[in-house]
Amino acid sequence: MDSLSNLGDGFLTVLTPMNMLWVFVGALLGTAVGVLPGLGSAMAVALLLPVTFSLDPIGAFIMFAGVLFGGLFGDSISGILMNTPGNSTAIAGTIEGHKMAQSGRAAQALAASAIASFVGGTVASLLVVFFAPSLARLATLFGPAEYLALAVFAFVAISAVVGESILRGLTSLAIGLAIALVGIDGMSGASRFTAGMPELFDGINIVVITVGLLALGEVITVAARRGTSEEAKLITSTGRLWLSRREFRLALPAWLRGTAIGVPFGIIPVGGSEVPTFLSYGTERRLASRKPGSMFGKGAIQGVAGPEAAGNATAGTAMGALLALGLPTSATAAVMLAAFRQYGLQPGPLLFERASELVWALLASFFIGMVVLLILNLPFAPLWAKLLKVPRHYLYAGITVFAMLGIFATSSKVLDLVLVLAIGLLGFAMRRYGLPVAPVLIGVILGPLAETEFRRTMAVSEGDPLALVSSPISATLYIVLALGVAGLLIQRARTARAQRAALETAA
Amino acid sequence: MSTPSASDPRQPDFWRRRTGLIMPLLLLVTGIVLAVGTVTMEVPDNVASPGPQLFPTLIAGGCFVFAVLLAVDVWRRPEPARVATRAAAAENPAPAAADGTDAADAADDPAATAAPEPLRVRSNRPAVLGLVGTVVAFIVLLLPLGWILAGAGLFWGVARTLGSRRTVFDIFLAIAISSGIQLAFSAGLGLNLPPGILEGVF
Repeated sequence: MDSLSNLGDGFLTVLTPMNMLWVFVGALLGTAVGVLPGLGSAMAVALLLPVTFSLDPIGAFIMFAGVLFGGLFGDSISGILMNTPGNSTAIAGTIEGHKMAQSGRAAQALAASAIASFVGGTVASLLVVFFAPSLARLATLFGPAEYLALAVFAFVAISAVVGESILRGLTSLAIGLAIALVGIDGMSGASRFTAGMPELFDGINIVVITVGLLALGEVITVAARRGTSEEAKLITSTGRLWLSRREFRLALPAWLRGTAIGVPFGIIPVGGSEVPTFLSYGTERRLASRKPGSMFGKGAIQGVAGPEAAGNATAGTAMGALLALGLPTSATAAVMLAAFRQYGLQPGPLLFERASELVWALLASFFIGMVVLLILNLPFAPLWAKLLKVPRHYLYAGITVFAMLGIFATSSKVLDLVLVLAIGLLGFAMRRYGLPVAPVLIGVILGPLAETEFRRTMAVSEGDPLALVSSPISATLYIVLALGVAGLLIQRARTARAQRAALETAA
Repeated sequence: MSTPSASDPRQPDFWRRRTGLIMPLLLLVTGIVLAVGTVTMEVPDNVASPGPQLFPTLIAGGCFVFAVLLAVDVWRRPEPARVATRAAAAENPAPAAADGTDAADAADDPAATAAPEPLRVRSNRPAVLGLVGTVVAFIVLLLPLGWILAGAGLFWGVARTLGSRRTVFDIFLAIAISSGIQLAFSAGLGLNLPPGILEGVF
């Protein structure tokens, strides 16, 4: 039971007044950013990255844990009360949640969602505590070829599975990979695409890219939509905050099922919680339709409880995969990876040995953060909703100021401000023309890793391409990937044929 | 939705429905930049193969391929001909999803089709230009004016382009926010922000 004693030490590290303050501040900020429509935990972490520079790493990561889960708690509040999900992870839970709010059960929807987030996050964190060390041990068997296979897996999965169109996903990925090329090539020392500017020798800072794509891109999108979809109505939440015994009986199995669906998706790199949340929504809907009196379509509590639990469970195990394998499986995890690198830490098998105090303090702060967030969200959800009453122009003006401040505070380079504007415009154009943003981040983060590992493999094997697939682990990964893509293509072709058939019969 | 002659480039809204072609164009430019940069790259002599030029070549190739495919996709499936007007779009607010599904793309709304002369407001160009202009001004003025004034100007400008009409109140709010940040950062966190013309005051 090494894990338990390590976790105990972690708790001892976190349970100091100063570190508890960081958890609390993180949870508060994360929820606040999560509540804002269109902004999720990935962006909250990216914005806070520069601010935490003067903290010690443990304090900073404890705060990130609060931010990470705070974003997931908060994004459902605006979804339920305004029908504008705070983030794509909350879309599935919004469908039934907003209907519950419309029928006067907003408080119960918020409670079901907060408890769901708590259950999903806690169970996932427990699993991480017990299995991440063994996962890390397994990962020590990985060589360059295996890491390349994992990166390729992440590339294909995030581009193909997440977006509606594989072409658009791959296009976004290519943009990300291209951005990542800028800078000095670490293996040969050749300067690539820097136009001779010394400021670019280290490459484009990941904080610049995330803040540009996620924060400034969103602000420009909001500006572009001005006058079209702003006037969403806010439903006020009144009445009892607690679930009745009947509601609890309905919600409990949904929480557990949602968690079970969400957990595996944290380890598979499919880019976050969209897939598991919708899977959970679909499952709850099908299960409810078997019994008489299904509330789906009229505000079913299971429709909120399931997807919310799934979303948080995915986020929890995604952190496990990041810590143990060094592999980001979602945009948020990608930003967290950037955070680790800012502090000179490389997530992966060695992290558990080299920075074990930090790792266990981080894991302990997951649990503490979860409790703090439950307290912050369960009774105070209506208060959070008040944040949505702050005029939107002030909210987004504040975000812009904070984004520019953060960028400048990190590097003191005016060039970074120009880059963040350019990338913000790119982010706006991508949103406008339906290109997913997540593959760009994965491309930027994993691109250099894929290139290095590829070149290492080829150098070791003296140019024999078979070395890429010769180990059992990498071969398995490629086979699973090929099967997955084939299955996806067949399924898409079938849906397309069914739609065409339906159109013809209708005509 | 689309009329039989929709694929005719002489149609007045032909290009307007295909502004998405900007993305393939951008990819094309990226591909060209990568290709030129790869060819002109100064590679140290003793580099093990595969060298630093392989990945840029692959990605440049990818950019060209996806540019063509995306262009074909946008060409064949243009955006809806009619555009949601301000009023019509405000009636059915769509979730602001992070995956880029445009809220105003619900242009097959009956209210929108009834509008006599639909305006393309789904991208509110003055607001976007105002916002970008504000940010550019901030970048230019940050070092000469210092954080407090430039930051206040940024807040004020963004709030204004996003629809705030309380000009004077905003000035005070903006200065309060940028001064607060300056205090928190230099006094609390020990980070330096450019003082600009207010140097010596703080």
